[in-house]
Amino acid sequence: MNVLEFPAPEFPSPAFPAQVVRLDSGLTVVHQAIEATPVAVADVWVRAGAIAEPAEWPGMAHFLEHMIFKGTERLPPGVFDQEIESRGGLTNAATSHDYAHFYITLEAAALPQTLPYLAELLLHAAIPADEFVRERAVVLEEIRQADDDPNWLGFQALSALTYQQHAYGRSVLGTPAQLNSRSPEEMRCFHQTHYQPENMTVVVTGGISLAETLELVQQSFSHFPPRSDCLPGESAQPPVIKGMQRQVLSLPRLEQGRLLMAWLGPGIDRLSDACGLDLLTVLLCEGRSSRLVRELREERQWVQAISGSFSLQKGCSLLSLTIWLETHQVERVEATVRDRLTELATQPISPAELARCQRLLCNDYAFSTETPGQLAGLYGYYGTIAQSHLAVQYPRFIQAYTPESLQQLAASYLSAERYAAVELRPD
Amino acid sequence: MHRTTLTNGLTVIAIENPVADIVAARLFIRAGQCRETAEQAGLFSLLMSVLTKGTQRRSSLEIAEAVESIGASLGADAASDYSILSLKTVSSDFEAMLNLAAEILREPSFPTAELELERRLTLQGLRSMQEQPFAVAFNQLREAMYAEHPYALSSLGTAESIQALSRDDLLAAHQTYFRPDNMIVTVVGRIVPQQAIALVEKALGDWQHPASPLPALTLPALTPKSQRRVTVQDTQQAIIILGYLAGSVKHPDYAALKLLSTYLGNGLSSRLFVELREKQGLAYDVSAFYPTRLSTSQFVAYIGTAPGNSAIALTGLCSELDRLRTGVLTPAELQVAKNKLLGQYALGKQTNGQIAQLLGWYEAIGLGTDFDQRFPADISAVTLETIEAAVQHCFVEPYLSILGPADIVESLY
Repeated sequence: MNVLEFPAPEFPSPAFPAQVVRLDSGLTVVHQAIEATPVAVADVWVRAGAIAEPAEWPGMAHFLEHMIFKGTERLPPGVFDQEIESRGGLTNAATSHDYAHFYITLEAAALPQTLPYLAELLLHAAIPADEFVRERAVVLEEIRQADDDPNWLGFQALSALTYQQHAYGRSVLGTPAQLNSRSPEEMRCFHQTHYQPENMTVVVTGGISLAETLELVQQSFSHFPPRSDCLPGESAQPPVIKGMQRQVLSLPRLEQGRLLMAWLGPGIDRLSDACGLDLLTVLLCEGRSSRLVRELREERQWVQAISGSFSLQKGCSLLSLTIWLETHQVERVEATVRDRLTELATQPISPAELARCQRLLCNDYAFSTETPGQLAGLYGYYGTIAQSHLAVQYPRFIQAYTPESLQQLAASYLSAERYAAVELRPD
Repeated sequence: MHRTTLTNGLTVIAIENPVADIVAARLFIRAGQCRETAEQAGLFSLLMSVLTKGTQRRSSLEIAEAVESIGASLGADAASDYSILSLKTVSSDFEAMLNLAAEILREPSFPTAELELERRLTLQGLRSMQEQPFAVAFNQLREAMYAEHPYALSSLGTAESIQALSRDDLLAAHQTYFRPDNMIVTVVGRIVPQQAIALVEKALGDWQHPASPLPALTLPALTPKSQRRVTVQDTQQAIIILGYLAGSVKHPDYAALKLLSTYLGNGLSSRLFVELREKQGLAYDVSAFYPTRLSTSQFVAYIGTAPGNSAIALTGLCSELDRLRTGVLTPAELQVAKNKLLGQYALGKQTNGQIAQLLGWYEAIGLGTDFDQRFPADISAVTLETIEAAVQHCFVEPYLSILGPADIVESLY
């Protein structure tokens, strides 16, 4: 793993409550015992998201995530689902640009019998040709469903506009034409290239000991697929937004206009900056006392709703605003947002406002680390894009900000002139 | 678990969970959509959104600042059978937040300007709902099934009813239903139960309930009568929803229907998922649900599919429901459904908020907190005969809702 360097804030570093063990195979295991819970979670993270896809294969990573569940030579399709669910457990998976992950949640005592099934699926996916064709139909339905959702369409347009040629700008679903051009052989090649120990992190949390976890993982994840070497993913440089990028989408059936705005943030190698952008997102639009909600929704009443989102990604993160409004309000709302960004870059915020945002995010962090599943997701995510122990550094980075350092951050990332904007208008 | 009733009739439930430095609380009012007339549809939803926007002592912004400056969360919602304030704080801030919630419940000022703002936002929310094909198809199914019953409409109400609601309507509903003997407070987290109860007593114990009794809850009887409804929209996917009126949580069929919805629609190994998605590739989203309701509930199965596949998807969905009527469930399948349902029930009680929600809800709909033990026992006791009886009662008069491009829905209709 890369050694990442971070500025050292003055606050003491919290101890990382989980154990990270690198097995001989190169597989990373992260474990945290939680005594009070009868539940255990196994969450397997693979560096095989959409950025690992060769340029010609968009949608492959996500489609493979579906095909993982279609069994192996020893495990017919459906057996895994039965084994987990008939024991009262839950299982599912998700794919994004930086990762694919697969998890099971169930009674702790049932983990030893079930984790081997998950490992078998992940390491030995058969990707049978007939199942490939059937499951492709399911993914095409997923795309159709997404295409009926204006929020999804708007966000895809915004990502494409912001990230331009970078893989972060593509939909992880791919397009029907792209999926129809792929073969089971190509998918096996992608699987064998990326589902290898050095790309995988197995996180186990809950009512199970470290010793038991290590033995179980060692046994289950022992035979990795024969290595293959499919085309590498694109290694595009992080994009730069030059000037204003703008797109207007007219959608049928749209009842309410939207204005989406986005700015590029740093990669995980500048985690402190990323945390600062989280603070700025909260300052702008989390809660009725935040600047934009208060001014635009509560006082001027120009918008129906505003939500802000900061999405931390390995190479290049994204700060986005989604504003629900009538089309005729777009111009003055956008001008107001730009004015508020200029203010942030030129005037320090008050210590009280900073304290509010810091407290809110630190409490949110506490609220989102309550269950084994939440912890496993957090450790797996950080482990996949950097190192697991960084997960618990988050509150420290948040606390380290001052009005001056936040102002400086706003000035360097949140330009009132350079950003991407998408307008959704009723047809 | 500690449960007590204060002298003013308020029920308090407290559970200590020292693991995390978090306290979650739920303040339930036993009145929601089920108390609305058609003319006042959306009343409780609007009431709850204006409730947190002013008290005799504080403005909307002052309330927001009180919550947000300590990084707490305060939510207000209306549901089918109750209305609720939800709190989440770190332990040391709990008392301050509880006191604020008490002030909001006891002395709301319903400022006119805030009512007008929330009214406008609700109207826009109703329009936004029209953008989601599943929501449109589900709303039309619900209206067909429930007719004059308050469950017929979305909890937001209708544009007409929202336009018509006045501040006096909100005040009257508050006066009638927001009273201590019609409320339950649950507190779960890092707090000693005796202390939690004492804090609730301090904040709400001197609130006297009116002398008048609560109005009786009378709901129209529903007679199942098969219907089809269609909406033409030029969507990428057709939505097909099949529904049956089904027993309330107090109906003898309740546990059996919960197991049937699990069997059909819960998870990757469920019957609809395997037959229609895994084997035929007809859908990404195909499932079934049977919500727990104080009054008549509904058993719903649905699928979203390419318009060209909608005839075969409709046949598939109907034949899976019909198949149940021929008594095909095996003892092993029943056992698997029980394991799934009970396992997931346990997994649904992991956070303080989930526990506070579940126990308070049971109390709010008159089941009592011991339903938390009764439910698993009732599920375990279900036999193939109970399943058979529930199937014969429930799956008789199907309601069908279809949404999609013109040529498709017309050919199905």
